[in-house]
Amino acid sequence: MESSKVDMFIMTNNKFFEAHHLMVVRERLINMDDSKWATLQILQFKDPTTALLISIFAGVYGIDRFYIGDTGLGVGKLLTCGGIGIWAIVDWFLIQGATKEKNMEYFNRSMMQ
Amino acid sequence: MTKSNLYKLTLTACLLAYIWLFYFSNNYNSPKGFPVCLVKNVTDIPCPSCGTSRAVLHFFNLELFKSILVNPFGVIVSFIMIIAPIWIIADFLFKKESFYQFYYKVEKTIQKKPVAIILIILVIANWIWNIKKNI
Repeated sequence: MESSKVDMFIMTNNKFFEAHHLMVVRERLINMDDSKWATLQILQFKDPTTALLISIFAGVYGIDRFYIGDTGLGVGKLLTCGGIGIWAIVDWFLIQGATKEKNMEYFNRSMMQ
Repeated sequence: MTKSNLYKLTLTACLLAYIWLFYFSNNYNSPKGFPVCLVKNVTDIPCPSCGTSRAVLHFFNLELFKSILVNPFGVIVSFIMIIAPIWIIADFLFKKESFYQFYYKVEKTIQKKPVAIILIILVIANWIWNIKKNI
């Protein structure tokens, strides 16, 4: 893939990934065939800021975990009142990282097919 | 989530749940329970899982009907608390990963839209019931 296209993708989507993921994403896209560009355009990543807002306001119900696709943990959080509130508060700090990790997993899954 | 992370997390959660239950059963002397729920303490409105500790306690005292009346979530949590540690230890002994596979199967099933909608409706219904009961 052309490096200008890849850089454009990185610039517009850098908030969805951890800093150390960006280099891997860039390298992978450059080595990828141009036919994958269309697939790349339709990928829908989860926004870490949205996840944080959901975590602050509805974290006790596990909705933040449901949002990023961690359904099992979401159910766990819902059943335990957000881990008696403690897990809910811990997740305020973890959820953005978890969202970015999930985005990377989604990217790998979609682009490796 | 990796297999070892899931197993560690589940075992820790079960251990904490048993410690909490032991502490709760020794300090539980009012019909309103022992409120630790953030939502209930702040807004005075119970959350969908308020009363789960009481329900689990009833379940372990073999009062299934009372347990369901307090909060049906208690039955689910009790089952998880009983089955998960045994399953994980069995997996560890027989070097299998059946619990991990089961977790992923359940996760994928819950993520299907029709199942998710039904479950959301059930949780909301339980929430309304909790508010009505003023648990």
